[in-house]
Amino acid sequence: MKDIMRIKCLVSTEMETILNQQIRKEAQSSAIYLAMASWCDRNGFDGSSVYFFKQAEEERQHQLKFFKYVLDMGATAISPDVSGIKIEYNSFREVFEDALDQEISVTHSIKNIAALCHKEQDYVTMEFLNWFLKEQREEEYKARRALELFEVIGEEGTGRWQIDKHVGDIRYDSEA
Amino acid sequence: MQAIDTLTTTTSINEVFKTASGAVYQCDKDNCWYIDFAGKLNRFDYRCLHKLRKAVYHIDVEALLLNPKRSADMEIVFICACDHTYILTHLEIIALKELLQGTFTMLELNHILHERLFRWAA
Repeated sequence: MKDIMRIKCLVSTEMETILNQQIRKEAQSSAIYLAMASWCDRNGFDGSSVYFFKQAEEERQHQLKFFKYVLDMGATAISPDVSGIKIEYNSFREVFEDALDQEISVTHSIKNIAALCHKEQDYVTMEFLNWFLKEQREEEYKARRALELFEVIGEEGTGRWQIDKHVGDIRYDSEA
Repeated sequence: MQAIDTLTTTTSINEVFKTASGAVYQCDKDNCWYIDFAGKLNRFDYRCLHKLRKAVYHIDVEALLLNPKRSADMEIVFICACDHTYILTHLEIIALKELLQGTFTMLELNHILHERLFRWAA
């Protein structure tokens, strides 16, 4: 008997489900960053607003990468509905704390997909995921470095203004 | 049942899974499945079979059985962009669920066997 399921689709049903969950997560990340950009803009932190707009766009590109991969493999990519996005923050620092939490959560979910790849010996998806694992290094570094600025500059006096000015300069240039 | 008997003699049809209430057959020639259930023999391609599974698994049988409202003991299983619709009683839903669960387990088993064979041959 032919393996029609395999002929039609490269990834398993479980992999399809977890990849669609990741599509939703990336869409949610993009929406969260957009909400952060909005809060920063409303509260006079223009530099951080630009930084979060850029992050929102990056997350959207990640979502599309997953979306196209799922389709290319013959599975069904689901356009997610995103709701319940937090729009108010108690402080400037809380925005960056939430941003780091979000990145940690994304890294965790990508690690879960990698674990499933190993379990199913799906090395094709694993190879696709490698780019994201490397990307998470950069994303987490940037989010952690932004929070570090609160420690090294301090929030007193013109501290928050300085932090806002330097957030856009954060770069991750490791070639390792 | 006569229709599937005709099919098995003319094309490459394999029985995937069978219960007391129905059966699923795979046609290797046309890359499709035939579901013999509720007095109908319906053809499903890859996409529609997945949609049917999703639609049937999605029905909360427990909630239907516990529903105290005076409503008909029927459920319409409609699959978008598919030629077939099922109008089933609660017992038939349970039976179809069982049939599909068995079918997908057998298809998964077939996939595992193919993978092992490829690995040995490589």
